[in-house]
Amino acid sequence: MRIFQMQRYTAIALLVFLTIHMIVVHYPPFHIDFSRIIDRMSQPLWKAIDIAFLFAVVMHGLTGAYMVLTDLQGVYRYRKALAWAAVVIGLFAFYYGTITILAFQPPAPVTGMIP
Amino acid sequence: MYTSTGFISFFLRRFTGVALVLYLGLHMWVIGSVNAGPEVFDARLAAVQTPIFKFLEILLLAAVVYHAFDGIRLLIVHYFKVTEYRKSLFYAAFAVAAILTIAGGIPILLFMLNG
Amino acid sequence: MTTNGKTYTAIIRVQRFNPEVDQKPHMQEFSVEATADTTILDALHTVKHSQDGSLTFRRSCRHAICGSCAMNVNGKNILVCKTPLRSSLDKRSRVTIRPLPYLPIIKDLVVDRSTFWKEYQRVRPWLIPPTETPEKEFRMSPAEVEALQNAETCIMCGACYSACQVVAMNKTYIGPHALLKAFLRVLDPRDAAPAERLEDVGGEDGVFRCHTIFNCIDACPKGLNPTQAIETLRKLAQKRQAFEADRLERQKTIAAPVVETAPGD
Repeated sequence: MRIFQMQRYTAIALLVFLTIHMIVVHYPPFHIDFSRIIDRMSQPLWKAIDIAFLFAVVMHGLTGAYMVLTDLQGVYRYRKALAWAAVVIGLFAFYYGTITILAFQPPAPVTGMIP
Repeated sequence: MYTSTGFISFFLRRFTGVALVLYLGLHMWVIGSVNAGPEVFDARLAAVQTPIFKFLEILLLAAVVYHAFDGIRLLIVHYFKVTEYRKSLFYAAFAVAAILTIAGGIPILLFMLNG
Repeated sequence: MTTNGKTYTAIIRVQRFNPEVDQKPHMQEFSVEATADTTILDALHTVKHSQDGSLTFRRSCRHAICGSCAMNVNGKNILVCKTPLRSSLDKRSRVTIRPLPYLPIIKDLVVDRSTFWKEYQRVRPWLIPPTETPEKEFRMSPAEVEALQNAETCIMCGACYSACQVVAMNKTYIGPHALLKAFLRVLDPRDAAPAERLEDVGGEDGVFRCHTIFNCIDACPKGLNPTQAIETLRKLAQKRQAFEADRLERQKTIAAPVVETAPGD
């Protein structure tokens, strides 16, 4: 039940986040511009939105992967181990993603960017 | 195998879901390079802007959009009594996903071809 | 049987498997003469009685109520006793008959339904009445009875269970047939254990494992809707305490006349 509810709520959250992401990141100019990314990611608001987005994606993705694997009878036996593995991977991924998001700083004035 | 539109929808949903989880890992690796300094970050981002990756980006868009709209279809089925229209709902979700993939894919394709 | 006498030839492709002699299942073709009235079951009988007596299949009532003759015909699970042969033929006058998929084959078209029955038993498909039974009868409103009509018509044929992809991948899943029965009992106002039932089917093998593939609805020869029943159970399982409280309230008046059914209204 919890897994089902988790997927539903994170799915709804992702629909919101993904819409924001598509518009902000991929709307014209369509190609990824490094300075745009750095500028946006330095702002605390966007850091917060991206951390929340990361959380929803990691939850939804790992829960989904868990469901895909445990639906198979052969794998179903090991579901407790898989659940713990998913938790560990999730914690690591969320930690790594969060420190990465927080690490974005505006570039120092003299640094030239390699295109 | 018992084939039906329901089965195709289920299979594609799972397939795109797994593909997206794997993509997430790759994405975190690329963006995570900001922790290693601007040169590494710029180099990795440039590497995934090459034409082959631009093409893969169109496939990524297709996967995201299909998964999202099939997911919306599931939410509708969960909250409303629409089993009578199950086939139409599937075709509608598939059609919307196809349209959005084409609409979003054309600019990427143009960018890929024009450099 | 009224016909205009015209016969046609049909080719019956049947999957054969005799565990005593065969390594694996194989297809065999028989040619039968049929009329407009011939059902697929009639054709199978013709083969068995006049061509190959070893052809083995389950059947009983011949009129879609016993649930014995569910098989996979042209890729879909159906009851062969009520399906006309003519409309099942392809352009080359062939019909392909296989046993229900994803279940172990005992012989030819007969499959092992042990897991099907085990799951049915597991949900306790009988009514659990309240400890205090009314002096005369239980009174239910037409609306309450109506809600049960769909699920009550199930003939336990196994078409839905065998078509379900979740069952195919994992035999620990309770299955659409048993969940439909659980739905029947949970929604029955006479049943005194809704919270227990909801807790059981709301666990890790039950309603939350359904992936809304809808094969069960497509396969059901009675036009039933296990998916909708499962969706309802999902909603109820998430608020089972409240549902049980409502049930206790309802059972206080279960022996009292129901106002809506007063005649002349």
